Amino acid sequence: MLKFFLDKLINLINEHKEFNMARLVILGAGVAGHTAASFAAKWLGKEHEVVVVTPNAKWNWIPSNIWVGVGEMTKEEVTFDLAPVYAKTKIIYKQAKAVSINPEGSDKLDKSFVTVEFTGQGKEGESEEVEYDYLINATGPKLNFGATPGLGEGTTMGEHTVSVCTADHAVHASHELEACIEKMKAGERQKFLIGTGHGMCTCQGAAFEYIFNIEHKLQERGVRDMADMIWISNESFLGDFGMGGLHFKMGGFITSSKVFAESLYAERGMDWIIGAHVNKVEKGMVTYESLDGSINTQDFDFAMLIPPFAGVGMKAFGKDGSDITDTVFAPNGMMKVDADYSGKPYAEWKPSDWPKTLQSPVYKNIFAAGIAFAPPHPISKPMKSANGTPITPTPPRTGMPSAMMGKAVISSIVDMMTGKTTEPTHTSSMAEMGAACVASSGKGLLSGTAAAMTVFPIVPDFEKYPGTGRDINGTTGEIGLAAHWVKHLLHHAFIWKAKLKPGWTLIPE
Amino acid sequence: MSDNTKSTNTDHSHVQHVEPYTPQFGTMIPSGAQKFMRTCVLWQIVRFLAINVKMMTLIIKSHH
Repeated sequence: MLKFFLDKLINLINEHKEFNMARLVILGAGVAGHTAASFAAKWLGKEHEVVVVTPNAKWNWIPSNIWVGVGEMTKEEVTFDLAPVYAKTKIIYKQAKAVSINPEGSDKLDKSFVTVEFTGQGKEGESEEVEYDYLINATGPKLNFGATPGLGEGTTMGEHTVSVCTADHAVHASHELEACIEKMKAGERQKFLIGTGHGMCTCQGAAFEYIFNIEHKLQERGVRDMADMIWISNESFLGDFGMGGLHFKMGGFITSSKVFAESLYAERGMDWIIGAHVNKVEKGMVTYESLDGSINTQDFDFAMLIPPFAGVGMKAFGKDGSDITDTVFAPNGMMKVDADYSGKPYAEWKPSDWPKTLQSPVYKNIFAAGIAFAPPHPISKPMKSANGTPITPTPPRTGMPSAMMGKAVISSIVDMMTGKTTEPTHTSSMAEMGAACVASSGKGLLSGTAAAMTVFPIVPDFEKYPGTGRDINGTTGEIGLAAHWVKHLLHHAFIWKAKLKPGWTLIPE
Repeated sequence: MSDNTKSTNTDHSHVQHVEPYTPQFGTMIPSGAQKFMRTCVLWQIVRFLAINVKMMTLIIKSHH
């Protein structure tokens, strides 16, 4: 009899739990998505479901792809399998890509859902409708190689250049680099062209770090004198970095990142082409349009050109099946959040234009984090060539900003899911956060020197910080071995953290 | 530029030659002392600690 009542009681408790159980779906397992998923699993426990949808089987510490791209690290050292990590934390993992969102459900399903298409787990090509109570869009970017003729097709890299955007791309780049080194050893001079492959690229920092790693590698291998090295970028000045440049204390002056970056290139005997929109890539040659409207060419033997980023191309549908993609996403495919998208001119830009909560203004249970959210406008001053072609770096939001956004968004959602509030409780505006960038030159602990930069805030605020727009005590830059050690520390610490090994929460993001 | 990088003046042997009227001529070039400090292990240990403090401060200020 007692057992009968106990079973009834347990059933009642379980039914109550299921009734209150909510499901959080996270699209993407990059820096933002994985950070959000990790904290969701920790904070929500078994009371709620956490589902991660990502087309990738492996997590990749992308900053170290640079070292893979010069043969200093293997793919295995910068990636690990996601499935075991999610299995131990009870996160439901679907190796699939998100195709569309139905925020209002459909004529068959009342609940909000995402349609996904599997890319692994033995279900390749199968579709599934994954219901959600809360959704985080952290898909990251689509590598839009197809935007520049010859750079690639769609998301596939072309045959004329290399990339370090993924670990596989970086492995390929290292093989190509090795082939060039062998040619130089045999007495054949080589020309290296590194930079951005389109006028609207971001992520100049990755290319910046890669060119210095190549230069260091060539020095190490004794063939530097056989190489011509050229930087090509859509920045209107060296050191813009998609943030309109920055200033920091150096040698008794408040020095511009323009001088800082130019100095690094000059010291290493590298030339630069700036304000360039690469509009065609052929075997051994790029064609680019400059800000003055001139059309020029540059030949190369080895080229690493970062592609422009776009949204991953998800669609959105209303309950009646109508296409509401324009309501949920910006024209570039990034998700609209609580930003000012009025398209006002540069002179009227304000830090308050930037999103704070990263919540969709239309669907309050949808958030975006990392590269997936649509910036209201660039940070760098928009430039057009004399022919009217836009040549402006787009805002950087990889790495540290992505992780911060992921944590802020999940903090808000957890508060909402657990009934503490109905509104987001945390903010993560790029106008109120800083970022750190460590650009290595080689991997040695006692050789090579890296540049370590910090910037606060990422979006300049000339009202709060008159003069340079940034906190001069929080915005710094220096060159030295110490920055190399920091890069090593970050590599090991963040892979440890991403694997959710003991003490992972103590490593700050 | 690489052919002209060595100065004949021994007092300035640590200063890299930069070709006049090139874009590189318009920027700063590190002195020998600056280059030494960049790889001086003792000084870099101090800088390592300083960079970590800066980054932690940045992180603390950035979470809202």
